[in-house]
Amino acid sequence: MLLLSIFSFTFAQESLEELKRQLEEQRRQIRELEKKIEALEKQKSEAKEEVKKEQESAPADRSLQLRSKYDERLKALQITPTGQRSFLNLSLIVDTSFVARNKNDQEFKHLEIPGLYHRHEGNGHGHGTLNEKRGFNLNYAELYLYAPVDPYFDLYATIPFSEDGAEVEEAYAVTRGLPFGFQFKVGKFRSSFGRLNAQHPHAWDFANQPLAYKVFLGDDGLKEKGVQLNWLAPTPFYLLFGVEVLQGENEHSFGTEGFRLVDNINTPTTSITIGDTKKPNLYLGFVKTSFDVGNLSFLTGLSFATGYSRINHLEGDNPHAFAGKTKLYGFDLTAKYMIDSYRYISLQGEYLYRDQNGTKYEYDSAGDLETAGLKKKQGGFYTQLVFKFDRRWRAGVQYNLINKNDVKKNGVKEDLPSNLPAYYAMLEYSPTEFSRIRFQVGQNRAFFHDGSRKTVNEFILQFNFAIGAHGAHPF
Amino acid sequence: MKALVFFLLFLTVSFAKLKVVATYPWIGELVKEVGKDRVSLYVIAKGTEDPHFVVPKPSHIAKMRDADLLIVQGASLEVGFLPPLLQQSNNPKIQPGRQGYLDLSEFVELIEKPVNISRAMGDVHPEGNPHYQLDPHNIPPLARAIAERLCQLDSPNCAYYRGNLEDFLRRWNAKLTEWDREFAKLKGIKVIQYHKLYNYLLQRYGMVLVGTLEPLPGIPPTGKHIEGLISQAQGVKFILQDVYHEKRTAQFVAQRLNAKVVILPHEVGAVPEAKDLFSLFDEILKRLSQ
Repeated sequence: MLLLSIFSFTFAQESLEELKRQLEEQRRQIRELEKKIEALEKQKSEAKEEVKKEQESAPADRSLQLRSKYDERLKALQITPTGQRSFLNLSLIVDTSFVARNKNDQEFKHLEIPGLYHRHEGNGHGHGTLNEKRGFNLNYAELYLYAPVDPYFDLYATIPFSEDGAEVEEAYAVTRGLPFGFQFKVGKFRSSFGRLNAQHPHAWDFANQPLAYKVFLGDDGLKEKGVQLNWLAPTPFYLLFGVEVLQGENEHSFGTEGFRLVDNINTPTTSITIGDTKKPNLYLGFVKTSFDVGNLSFLTGLSFATGYSRINHLEGDNPHAFAGKTKLYGFDLTAKYMIDSYRYISLQGEYLYRDQNGTKYEYDSAGDLETAGLKKKQGGFYTQLVFKFDRRWRAGVQYNLINKNDVKKNGVKEDLPSNLPAYYAMLEYSPTEFSRIRFQVGQNRAFFHDGSRKTVNEFILQFNFAIGAHGAHPF
Repeated sequence: MKALVFFLLFLTVSFAKLKVVATYPWIGELVKEVGKDRVSLYVIAKGTEDPHFVVPKPSHIAKMRDADLLIVQGASLEVGFLPPLLQQSNNPKIQPGRQGYLDLSEFVELIEKPVNISRAMGDVHPEGNPHYQLDPHNIPPLARAIAERLCQLDSPNCAYYRGNLEDFLRRWNAKLTEWDREFAKLKGIKVIQYHKLYNYLLQRYGMVLVGTLEPLPGIPPTGKHIEGLISQAQGVKFILQDVYHEKRTAQFVAQRLNAKVVILPHEVGAVPEAKDLFSLFDEILKRLSQ
């Protein structure tokens, strides 16, 4: 009530009106409370009558009716689910880690996955690469805000701070009142592509994202400006359809900004300009369904994304660029068996497939521009088993494999490795839902340097803490 | 595709019964008593589960999508699983603040409301102790609140709901007299419990809570805390143990204090004997009267 009163002060003109209303409301509530206490003290039969009276004292005149309507709207503003009463739910999540790795930071930075991933100048804002350096890392301090805007919209924002600055990772509104099972989302958000993409890093079961996500969607995942419309089907089981129209700026598979190329990099005489894509650039659809068999729950989904690509790596030692069209397919399946309130076994996997078609631009040893038709058909998956064997303990293993890496340049298949695995195992201790300590060991055999495989072994000790509003447990 | 859509739309309108979703079984029992066959009911949690840790399965979302009324226990008990379910239900009718959202904690006096609050105190609910269903005197106003809300949402059946309510209250009040008489015999006995789960029952009938096995709400027992508890506690008759926590600690303490471990249902369905609200309190009484 106090907050309400303070809030109403800010509306200069209406403040007096408002204040009166607030006061009256307060008085009414006090009266109600008194009534309640009285009622409780009296006999049950009398208490019954009291409640009845309260409900029957429905507004007789028009102004009172209006006021009660206004009160109801305020109620919708005040009450967030299950009783947390405040205008804003705020929390801060801090993730910090200690890393030991058999490659030093310089070596690690220059490792690439042929045909799939290489680091490029200008990365490293927002979440960026987690657990990047040997020794201690502050991965992020993430501010998470949530509140209903009014009876019609909820607003969410996720702002991860790194040591270098902050990024608006997500800021979006979701409707809370569309009929017929529809929901509309607008702003910048993590796309609902696949299973893991929409989850924040602190909700992941392992310290890093799976290899398939890293190579097809980049270290930050698919988070884009745009809109989403989803429809929950009126079926007895969970069935959700969704479409997204997104800007499509993802640096790994899409991108919207065109670029300029010169005929010779050392002595430019003429130039070609590759234009921007149409904007928005990325169209995405998904269907998800879930059903239970006793204590065993299944959740599975199919996702599809299509958009144009403009990948510009013209700055740096080995300038190259790509313009074309990309299709991305995803399949995910989770099976979770609940043993009791605290224990479960969860098997989860996702397969991602990328079909990319376009023109690659690069410069030969003389510095002349070379263009080549490039076709990529690549796919990979992860599968993980997580066992929560105690209220505070979880253990898990994850197997990653990129098993398809077909790249054709001007119709000629390039000689690229297509057996790129990575293995991780973790043990986790969570004193409460708000703190977590995770040990993770892993071996990544997907990285290459100068054509030879560089096995990366690493150990990560990760700490994650959350303060503020109570977050919900993910499924 | 069109045919499918029409079929699905047909599904939504083909069941005219008022659809109610309740978070916990005991709330479901009240809905059954008042609504009987004129409402269809779906209960999210199981009686054997820890009410704080209910798994937010997507299958619950499908049931909430078409609900006309969602009834919750409130006082932040559902905070760990309900908000994402509600958000994904795509159902405007049951959003907080709407008529289809009923928070029962608004109809009872909550006890143990903390003066100041910090997570360093463990999982403390700012609104007070949320386990209010275990005072049988709290049940009648809640049944009435449910009946009134059903009336508002489904006025043609209002007389039916009120009739069922009166019938339920008559039977309940008769049992209340019996329970009050029998539970009064337990007045003054000293008990220890795992979590502050039974406080409403203890307070109503004057049983004395010596301590909890948890050092703080939501924090599992520690050796130091248990030793402290054992050294202070005297004349403890029962260790009240819920069905979902580990039982070793209770057995250990019981042995040391020469007390008895009683597995006490907190909820309908927690033990097979607690089939409904009546048998829940009968069973509690039976297990405490041994």
